[in-house]
Amino acid sequence: MFTTGTKLLIGSAGLAWLAAAVYGVAQEGALGTIGLISAAVALSLLAGVNAFVRDSNVSATDTEAFDTSAAAQATARRSLWPLLTGIGLTMLALGMATLPAIFVLGLIALGAGLIEWLVQGWSERASADRAFNDQAREVVADPLELPVAGAILFAIIVYAFSRVMLGMSTKSATVVVFSVVAAIILALGVLVALKRRISVPVVTGVFSIGLLAIVAGGAIAGLNGERDIEVHETTADLAEANRCGTEETEADSHASQTVAAKSNPAATLIYDGSELEIDEVGDDGQVGTITLPRSNPTNVMFLNESEGEARLVLELHPAVDADGVAAGPERICTTLVEDGGRQIMTVEFDRPSFALEAEGVNYEFVVAGSDAAVEVIVP
Amino acid sequence: MTESSTLRSRLRTAALALTAAVVLASCAQDAPQDTWDPAGSEAQKIHDLQWPIFLIAGIVGLIVFAVVAVCVVKFKDRGQPIPEQTHGKAWLEYLFIALPAVLLAGIAVPSVAVIIELNDTDNADCVVNVTGQQWWWEYDYPIAGDGSICGYMPSGESGSIVTSGQMVIPTDAKVVIRGTSRDVIHSFWVPRLNGKRDMVPGRLHTWNFHADRPGIYAGQCAEFCGLSHANMRMEIVALDPVDFQAWIDNQLEPYQSPEDGTLAADGEAEFIAQCARCHQVDGLTDADGELVVAHPEDQVYSGAAPNLTNFATRNTFAGATWDLLTEECRDDVWEADPENFGERYLAGVDRDCLNAIDLRAWLRDAPAMKPMYTEPEQLEATDGLVRGMPYLALSEDQIDSLVAYLLERK
Repeated sequence: MFTTGTKLLIGSAGLAWLAAAVYGVAQEGALGTIGLISAAVALSLLAGVNAFVRDSNVSATDTEAFDTSAAAQATARRSLWPLLTGIGLTMLALGMATLPAIFVLGLIALGAGLIEWLVQGWSERASADRAFNDQAREVVADPLELPVAGAILFAIIVYAFSRVMLGMSTKSATVVVFSVVAAIILALGVLVALKRRISVPVVTGVFSIGLLAIVAGGAIAGLNGERDIEVHETTADLAEANRCGTEETEADSHASQTVAAKSNPAATLIYDGSELEIDEVGDDGQVGTITLPRSNPTNVMFLNESEGEARLVLELHPAVDADGVAAGPERICTTLVEDGGRQIMTVEFDRPSFALEAEGVNYEFVVAGSDAAVEVIVP
Repeated sequence: MTESSTLRSRLRTAALALTAAVVLASCAQDAPQDTWDPAGSEAQKIHDLQWPIFLIAGIVGLIVFAVVAVCVVKFKDRGQPIPEQTHGKAWLEYLFIALPAVLLAGIAVPSVAVIIELNDTDNADCVVNVTGQQWWWEYDYPIAGDGSICGYMPSGESGSIVTSGQMVIPTDAKVVIRGTSRDVIHSFWVPRLNGKRDMVPGRLHTWNFHADRPGIYAGQCAEFCGLSHANMRMEIVALDPVDFQAWIDNQLEPYQSPEDGTLAADGEAEFIAQCARCHQVDGLTDADGELVVAHPEDQVYSGAAPNLTNFATRNTFAGATWDLLTEECRDDVWEADPENFGERYLAGVDRDCLNAIDLRAWLRDAPAMKPMYTEPEQLEATDGLVRGMPYLALSEDQIDSLVAYLLERK
């Protein structure tokens, strides 16, 4: 391992690099930064030389020291972990002054570098046998390294593949690409399964080429950007444009693409062609009013049991300010629901019913183009 | 006495003291949230299930502890040679698998049956919408198509009832609550009437209550819901049918403005200026005769604040955390026999019985009494909306007039 003098110089060099980074970012002063970087370079050089000569403080007349001195011990193995730790430390300092994401990445790099460095340092002193020491390191580090490396690899593949999928110009192209990739993977799997003996380099080579292809494809697709996602008209657009009538709209023809939540409604409104019936928990089958809470999104289910298509509309009568501007849409609605179909409508009321009654109106569920209606009471 | 024997003696004393404390804790005189003291058919079902299970679990526990104790004493290391080590005894292992399996199956069958029974919401006599928010409960009573509420037809005008803190229900009726939450997950729990039921935002949860006799049944939010979770309480007040009818009629009484020139009239003006942004009083009109409509959604994260239309008909305030009644008057209501309970409860709060100290303290500085998120530096996550009642910097005169006004909300 490192001798005491080397450790001192490494620490001093690290501190100087850190100080240079912090000063450079925080103070934006060229002279101070140059001075600190010069000191850091000099200290790093000294640390390197000192590590190489192992302190060089053994007397030529001290024969015992040829076996026992620090210089006579086996040198530490080459290691990337101090570099990773240094990068992490620098990113940490930079992140404090710039972006939180850099700080977090620095923290991860610093943690990973320190842990790996500690494990390597410990394993190199486990015994005098290097082979045993390597094995000891694997025993401790593999359970940590392999899952993390696997997770990172998996994330890279998923991210790159998602870029490829989102980069396709049409939805049909994504289907084709997905099918082709799946077919290739299946074919390779079949080939591997059929082969009685297959060498490790071949498998490694195939996987490496596949990985490279996916990463390269992801990078190219990522640089090209995502395709334009077509925006369809929704029931929110109908409400905004006040188009909750009986005429068919684009939202109706794309109803299958809306979220089809069908669970946990506060009530189900059943339309039989002439009137709306309320089916609520504990209050089945009454026709009349429905009480729903104020200032709380509530789901109401519309069940169309008429023989044609029908649209449920909620008349909201929003408050109007001094300039005559309404606080929200006048009504909201479902898409046209086919016979036997169901659709959830999420409703929210910002005024109690008595405030509307004073204006001579009330909240009301109606079926567009019919007289079927249910009054909503908002306490 | 050696040092180790002194330590052992102290540990023994501490263990005895701890055991005694645990045992004595079960001897509380005033335990209104006692799940072992059911007051309705739903709670009785749980009680009838938990007793035998507790008994079986207790017997199993005693056997296990006894066996462990025997082993500890009999096979204590006294320097004797280690006995012969054997591995596996098939018939014993089968027995130890079969016995718990049979036991658990025996417990599971009635447990599942009770769970199904407790969740049966058919044939409800009364439905109440329950909405939780940080840190109080709101109750509103759906109006049926014929104008009735909980099957009771109002004697006067029909209308909606919204209340908070205390949910009033009729006795001997199957009451189904439809619960949800406006902000985070809460849990509705009144141990003497039924078990817990979580209330999740965006979802509707049903639960049943049945009270055998008139009285007040205390509860507590049972799902950690933030800073004042411990102060989110609830009470269910059960009234016999005649008293429940009277309660409904009283709740639907039209709004009465205080007489001109009174302290309460000043309080009405203060209420409109200070409180009506969040708190609704149904029927309240301003100086121009315009209806005053609260807009809590502009001020409060949950979008709601307690409706104070009939504030003085309740016995609690601030999420049922404090009594509106003095201790003596409270005891008078809580300890009333079933025949007189309704009369005492319906009397509401008057000046003699008002717990003015806590109410005034609340109006003076609510966040000092109940931890809430109301300071500007705490509101970044909610875009400036408060969670709870903020400090309003009211003068003592303003507080006097508000108390006088609130006392007339009956």
